[in-house]
Amino acid sequence: MILHNYDLFENCYRVRLVASCAEVALELINVDAFPGAEEKSPEYLKLNPMGRLPILEDNALVLRNLSAILIYVAEHDIDKRFIPDEAKDRAQMMDWLGFACDDLAVAVQARAVALLDATGDVVELRAQARTLFRILDDHLTRQSLRGANFVAGDAPSLADLALFPAFALSRDFNLDHDEFPALRLWARRIRLLPGFITMPGIPDYH
Amino acid sequence: MTQTVEVLSQWVPIALSNMIETGTSAGVVAKGAEIVVWRDSSGVAHAWEDRCPHRGMKMSFGFVRGDHITCLYHGWEYDQSGTCQYIPAHPEVEVPKSICVARYGVAEAGGLIWAQLPLGSDESSFAGLPAMEGVKSVYIDASYATVLSVLRKQGCADGAVANVMILDRDGATMTIGIQPISNAQCALHITVPKGCAGDVRESILDWSEELRRSIEELEVVT
Repeated sequence: MILHNYDLFENCYRVRLVASCAEVALELINVDAFPGAEEKSPEYLKLNPMGRLPILEDNALVLRNLSAILIYVAEHDIDKRFIPDEAKDRAQMMDWLGFACDDLAVAVQARAVALLDATGDVVELRAQARTLFRILDDHLTRQSLRGANFVAGDAPSLADLALFPAFALSRDFNLDHDEFPALRLWARRIRLLPGFITMPGIPDYH
Repeated sequence: MTQTVEVLSQWVPIALSNMIETGTSAGVVAKGAEIVVWRDSSGVAHAWEDRCPHRGMKMSFGFVRGDHITCLYHGWEYDQSGTCQYIPAHPEVEVPKSICVARYGVAEAGGLIWAQLPLGSDESSFAGLPAMEGVKSVYIDASYATVLSVLRKQGCADGAVANVMILDRDGATMTIGIQPISNAQCALHITVPKGCAGDVRESILDWSEELRRSIEELEVVT
């Protein structure tokens, strides 16, 4: 499995984090995305006409959609840790995976505007990300009241791993962690998972 | 003749006790003051100015190791008295005792961590509250005055100490610690007596989210 990767892109980190926790080997091809914009070169546009990273290749299979990539990697986990078997549990996991990959795209964009010269209104994007963090903080407070430590149950799932980077990197676009105590406790639990890895902007310590 | 300006000191709740686990730190703001609250390995809570004396980095971005807190930036390490004990770039240097982080008076009571404001207040002991358990900290984009008036309309009564209100709801007596953050933001730290049933706690969560929504709508209109 080959990941076309740029270390500072949050969405590439999501794939590396899932692969590391699921013990799935990834071959990394590092792309000069910033400032080189290599993912928009003619060669890369053949792989992904949208001109975006990450791209996952497995022989003839080419995946460009973030949740498709994350699910494909997690399904290669020998122990099947991160995708629940039972239909309802899996659906709840997918619900939060959608929140992570679709809704929280505003947080990815806010960070890209703040750090990587992307275009957008960082004030508005930050406000939207804050609203989403509140929803997640409210949800995790309810979960812990029911004895569940993670977003879709008492075990960490693919959704937790996909959600973590947006919160862990939010200080990059000036959204601090003060207001989200339940998220802070949950993030600490994610950090303790076997195979957990960081990226620049997420300290190793804690 | 010198005139002394008396600054009223007061105890402000800054976090729910159960949200600051042993060995962790968090940043909070109370009346505009940036504070790091952290809990050392023996379970004791600390509230300090959220600023490393070295380069001004927020200590709340740092990490707790044993009974010390360490700045994320250059690893300067401070003991429970706020005194710098170790500078990694100069491991052989005996650190001057003058390198200190300013500390707030801190207390833990009623399921809440309290800081005494402003910095440099004469340390007075905290009055004390019955043991309670934290349910949720709710952060609301509204002034202290707005939040207080809405709580009063909901039937909240003044608590035993300042910055605390009591509300009976769904058969539980909530004690709510109120943290003024800025002119435009407040936090409510909601606690219930130990043994309060799970469904009551859930209904309190519903209530708190609705309260936040209604107050913020009010604040937009006015």
